[in-house]
Amino acid sequence: MNDQARFPDRTTALVLVLVVLMPLVMPATLATQILIFAIATLSVILLFGSVGLLSFGQGLYLGAGAYVAGLLLRDVHIGLLPAILAATLATTVLAALLGAIIVRRRDIYFVMLTLAFAQMAYFAALALKDFTGGENGLSGLPRNFGISGLPIASPLAFYGLTGVLFSLAFLLVQRLNASPVGSVLVAIRDNEARTAAIGYNVAIYKLAAFAIAGGIVGLAGALHAAFLGFVPPTDIELEMSQRLVVMGLIGGVGSPAGSLIGAAFYILVSEGLSQVWARWMALIALLIIAIVLYLPGGLWSIGARLSAAAKREKHHG
Amino acid sequence: MADALLSAEEVGVRFGDFQALSGMSIAVEPHTIHALIGPNGAGKTTFFNAITGVRRPDTGRITLEGRPITRAPAYRRVRYGMARSFQVTNIYPALTACENVRLAVQARHRREGWIFWRSPAARADILDETGALLSQLGILDRANTRAGELSHGAQRLLEIGMALGANPRIICLDEPLAGMGIDDVHRTKSLITDLRKRMAVLLIEHNMSVVLSISDQITVMSQGRKIAAGTPDVIRNDPSVRAAYLGSAA
Repeated sequence: MNDQARFPDRTTALVLVLVVLMPLVMPATLATQILIFAIATLSVILLFGSVGLLSFGQGLYLGAGAYVAGLLLRDVHIGLLPAILAATLATTVLAALLGAIIVRRRDIYFVMLTLAFAQMAYFAALALKDFTGGENGLSGLPRNFGISGLPIASPLAFYGLTGVLFSLAFLLVQRLNASPVGSVLVAIRDNEARTAAIGYNVAIYKLAAFAIAGGIVGLAGALHAAFLGFVPPTDIELEMSQRLVVMGLIGGVGSPAGSLIGAAFYILVSEGLSQVWARWMALIALLIIAIVLYLPGGLWSIGARLSAAAKREKHHG
Repeated sequence: MADALLSAEEVGVRFGDFQALSGMSIAVEPHTIHALIGPNGAGKTTFFNAITGVRRPDTGRITLEGRPITRAPAYRRVRYGMARSFQVTNIYPALTACENVRLAVQARHRREGWIFWRSPAARADILDETGALLSQLGILDRANTRAGELSHGAQRLLEIGMALGANPRIICLDEPLAGMGIDDVHRTKSLITDLRKRMAVLLIEHNMSVVLSISDQITVMSQGRKIAAGTPDVIRNDPSVRAAYLGSAA
């Protein structure tokens, strides 16, 4: 059974160590931002890497998660954790509802439907000013949180919360990939028609993956709202959906670890370059071209290639 | 034909203006080998697709063990006891031979396909059954080879193995011998003959000597219609069949 992903594996350990080390080598707020986007990118990787579904609309669920959490925190005053949980559940349900329509189509039509819904949601968010704040965004979120008595006031404490939630989402995706469900998802990715012919209800599996991915990216949205103390309309913009796909491609969709690598790379490069050169996105575009042409497994696959080469070396030496 | 396992009545399929299939009827008895023959373009695969749920028929009725399945999706027909193989090899080339068959066996254990908290390797019974199938196909030694790297003959056998994973009561084989070398033809022929003990076989095949020697019933199609049906002896001596088809091959 060498096709099946294993769990836990070396990747699990490596990613968890990185989560612990990150705040030691960079400001906690930067590390938090990376992990929030890593969670969001995890949803792209789950859909594209495991099932072969390219969603150009994950920004919709990120934005929806941010608005739901934002409104609950500001107007209902429920705690941080309940708000995050509620946003995650709400976006899972939303993705299941929209997914029921979206998964009916394949290939380019699937992509176009995810795109169309995302665009629609952006204009809906702008139109529903009373709830979302329209173009000004949703502001006035509380800044001080606590979880069962523990204050989440410092950037490092918030990083701790984000780190735990990222790790849970990451472990969930890894576990899923290395399970019987994961084996069916891979089968759908490799040969959808045959998967139906051997007796699997392909549409239900796709829908389940779409809903779980929606919940994961919604979780990222909720954290983003709490982190910023504000929900910018850019959270639900089409550019957000695009950014998540780009992070996935850069990091590598072949492994859930690609989410962390892709998000870290993108955010660190944008932090570093945006000061120097306003058109830094052009470099990201060049990088995407290079990766698509020469490194389809993304940056994560460099590590895999190196370790394979090292093994060969050992055998020969 | 009250005791037919699979029965199709007056099945018609239309592609735009082209009537690919009209008034096709067939009744497959349990534990028989029923061959479907006819020249290329006769509509055999179209009929297979209608029976197995790949293409819904525009007219007619299909029942499996008395249960109407005309509009049932393909995956549900597998649960009802029908499996199929494909004319063009339709496997998971990137996965190992073992995983190809395991997925098919796993599909039968419906709840197993929804388990996400542990590895598939925990189900020793599914792995054992997978191994037994690979061994029956004679490709157990290549269990861990990627399916796309198997020889053509082994891929054709794997194709059948994936259908057998469903442990069906009827298996529909679309040209299982296509492109096989002589050794594989013999092996596959005896495999199909053995299957009759456990299930009914509906077979599309162009190799006439094999069809005539292993079939219990033969239905002959031409231009989307049935032109003859009967035992191999009847078909061999049917003048209309000889004219339409056998003349060149027999």
